[in-house]
Amino acid sequence: MNTHTTTAGHAAVPAWKEWLLTTDHKRIGIMYLVGSMAAFGVAGLMALIIRAEQMELGMQIVTSGTQYNSFLYFHGAAMILAFLIPGLTGFAANYFLPLMIGARDVAFPRINAFSVWLFFFAIILALLSFVIPDAPDIMWTGYPPYSVNTSGNTAFYVFTVHLLGFSSILGAVNFLVTVIYLRAPGMGWNQLNIFVWTTVAAFVLQLVFIPVLAAAVTLLLFDKYLGTHFYDPSAGGDVLLYQNLFWFYSHPAVYVIFLPAVGILFEIIATMSKNRVFNYKAAVYPGIWGIVAISGIVWIHHLYISGMPDWIRLGHMVTTLLISVPVGILVLSLWGTLYKGAITYNTAMMYAASCLYLLLIGGLTGIPLALPSMTLHLSETSYVHAHFHFIMALFSAFALFGGIYYWFPKMTGRYADGALATFSFWMNFIGVNVTFWPLFIIGKEGMPRRYWDYEMFKDVLVMGHPFEDFHKVATVGAGIIAIGMIMQTYNFIHSAFKGKPAPTNPWNSRSLEWTHTVSPPGPGNFGDTDVVVDENWTPYEYNK
Amino acid sequence: MTSDAETAHVHEHHWEWSWAPLFVVAGTFFLLPISFGFYFAYDSLMYTAIFAGLGTVLLLAGVSIWVNEGLTQTPLLAGVANIGLPIFILSEIFIFLSLFSSYWMLRLGGQSWPPEGTPDGGLEKGIPLIMTVILVSSSVTCHIAEEKLDHGDLSGFNKWWIYTIILGAIFLGFTVYEWQHLIHLDFIPSTNAYSTAFYTITGFHASHVLLGLGAFIAVLIPALGGRTNKTFVNCVSVYWHFVDVVWFFVASQIYFW
Repeated sequence: MNTHTTTAGHAAVPAWKEWLLTTDHKRIGIMYLVGSMAAFGVAGLMALIIRAEQMELGMQIVTSGTQYNSFLYFHGAAMILAFLIPGLTGFAANYFLPLMIGARDVAFPRINAFSVWLFFFAIILALLSFVIPDAPDIMWTGYPPYSVNTSGNTAFYVFTVHLLGFSSILGAVNFLVTVIYLRAPGMGWNQLNIFVWTTVAAFVLQLVFIPVLAAAVTLLLFDKYLGTHFYDPSAGGDVLLYQNLFWFYSHPAVYVIFLPAVGILFEIIATMSKNRVFNYKAAVYPGIWGIVAISGIVWIHHLYISGMPDWIRLGHMVTTLLISVPVGILVLSLWGTLYKGAITYNTAMMYAASCLYLLLIGGLTGIPLALPSMTLHLSETSYVHAHFHFIMALFSAFALFGGIYYWFPKMTGRYADGALATFSFWMNFIGVNVTFWPLFIIGKEGMPRRYWDYEMFKDVLVMGHPFEDFHKVATVGAGIIAIGMIMQTYNFIHSAFKGKPAPTNPWNSRSLEWTHTVSPPGPGNFGDTDVVVDENWTPYEYNK
Repeated sequence: MTSDAETAHVHEHHWEWSWAPLFVVAGTFFLLPISFGFYFAYDSLMYTAIFAGLGTVLLLAGVSIWVNEGLTQTPLLAGVANIGLPIFILSEIFIFLSLFSSYWMLRLGGQSWPPEGTPDGGLEKGIPLIMTVILVSSSVTCHIAEEKLDHGDLSGFNKWWIYTIILGAIFLGFTVYEWQHLIHLDFIPSTNAYSTAFYTITGFHASHVLLGLGAFIAVLIPALGGRTNKTFVNCVSVYWHFVDVVWFFVASQIYFW
């Protein structure tokens, strides 16, 4: 775009136009934030309905199993595709990646705006499922043959995936070119913020794997509406083909979420500990890129019980276990960054610290699921449900919230910290533990996931209690989270306009987004002088 | 710089904005998900027509604004689209790889190939050969057009660019002819696993040809008025060569292997 030219008429542009039609990466980032938080709110409401329905035996809240399925569909699809991925790779990457590398904008600003609009229209399409007859009712996974035979509107599910996928692919192209070509002069590859590395890695995954998901759901669309037989074994198709294509993307999608979340943690922890990143090169090359390298050859662990030959299951057990090595390297670097640091505890750091715990639990409970022998027992139970919620819902979302607190002064010029922030953090943290620990326990005893009722287990006792008691505890936990999240959202909105004013670099960070620009940065980011860094500069040069 | 009065603020920045992305996305939204939903899920031809029409108008308006802005405004870093497009093509390669692997899953999983229902003796092999010749020629004419532009010969560029569009259109015409012929022989998408893969893969490739033709026309219209941009032309022609190369993989696996 034309950032180096001034045009006389621009002062007269109304503010709504400059916001809504913006091609500026920071405003697009804010649009992603607003959109993804809205999706989080609606999908969170679905989660509350699901939990309330499970609180007691029998049907209380929903009116039919199909309606329960629709809620599950929206909760899963929106949380993953419209909250976590756009929140991390849309909002956080858009706003901060160009600032971190000293760029005035992304390489293709109009394509960036194109991506955010695809995202918004995808949310509209997903929200339409509440008003149309025959809403999609196929989870976020959309397995055939059910998704082909259902009277639900599978087409809207497919097109939602298409819009979001296209948005992410274009985002990937945009950000890869930006990082390769628009880094500040003098900035070498080993001087990038870890967050920049994790985002680049996430976008590489999106670029390569999303097309496979797009193909999978397109073939689903053709099967349902045009009469083809890709997933129909009775006419020479293969029903497992869908599961293979789907998880070939959707397992790497976990790392699309996980990696930027880890990147945010590195930024928070290094800044708040005033410490270098421990083992920077190990975190970047074997850590981040190790995950990228292995991510494409582990997807069969989602299909252990779908009827796979043993030798494939064995191979993927090995690769799945192997992925704990790069993850372990990253965890070691995170803890090592704390070592001998001068740690400041504020809301961002409390979220970051809680993430270290959530990652530990989520990671360790994943190991049994890597083993086919254990998965035969645990698959499709609420143990799995609790495990991936610890990684995706809790770890990644908490990292994102920590990032919002960390960068809040940058985006608004004001702090979001305060009593309300601290209190809502503890509500959220206690709430998630109360919600998901009981699900591990009853999942291990056979509580299936995705069921709206558990009548057939009413005589099963775990530690002297029926499943119902555990569900009650989990539902209370969900209520605690809901209160925490409402308070936190109020805090964000209130602080954005009336919060305590913050200086330009309130955390004394060494990263470019804090040191080289005002808060919030204006158009063109860095004023009149281009950013140049010298060869000894790093974003983590803290001389204690 | 637009005027002398502003020389004191050479680097004054302002918030950039554009209608184009919103129009293109809204157009695509109405043209694909909404129209498709009304036609297939809700059986309403009237709403399908209304939304498809609205979508087409918005899409065309968006693309024309976008092309106009692209030709008049200076990018942050000129020519960087020449790198962006190949990265995007990497993504396209993976979608074709997914389709090909699905095809081989069906083919190797079946009892006999081609399965029952396929016209005797398999598909006509002459048509894909002619189509290959046409598409390769169009890549050549496209390259000649680019050479002309490099030498500053805009009218020569326009001429060869139009030849390319005509060849691309003939290619699509052959696809339509072949499909009609096969449908007449009761070889329709739901016939068997082969027809499933055949219509999906050739259709998917044809949609890329169609998109390429749209891009050619988006270059041609301003070029006829004397306005063009080498990066834009280069991106469209690289995309076209990609579509050409993919055709070799489509034709060899679907018809000849």
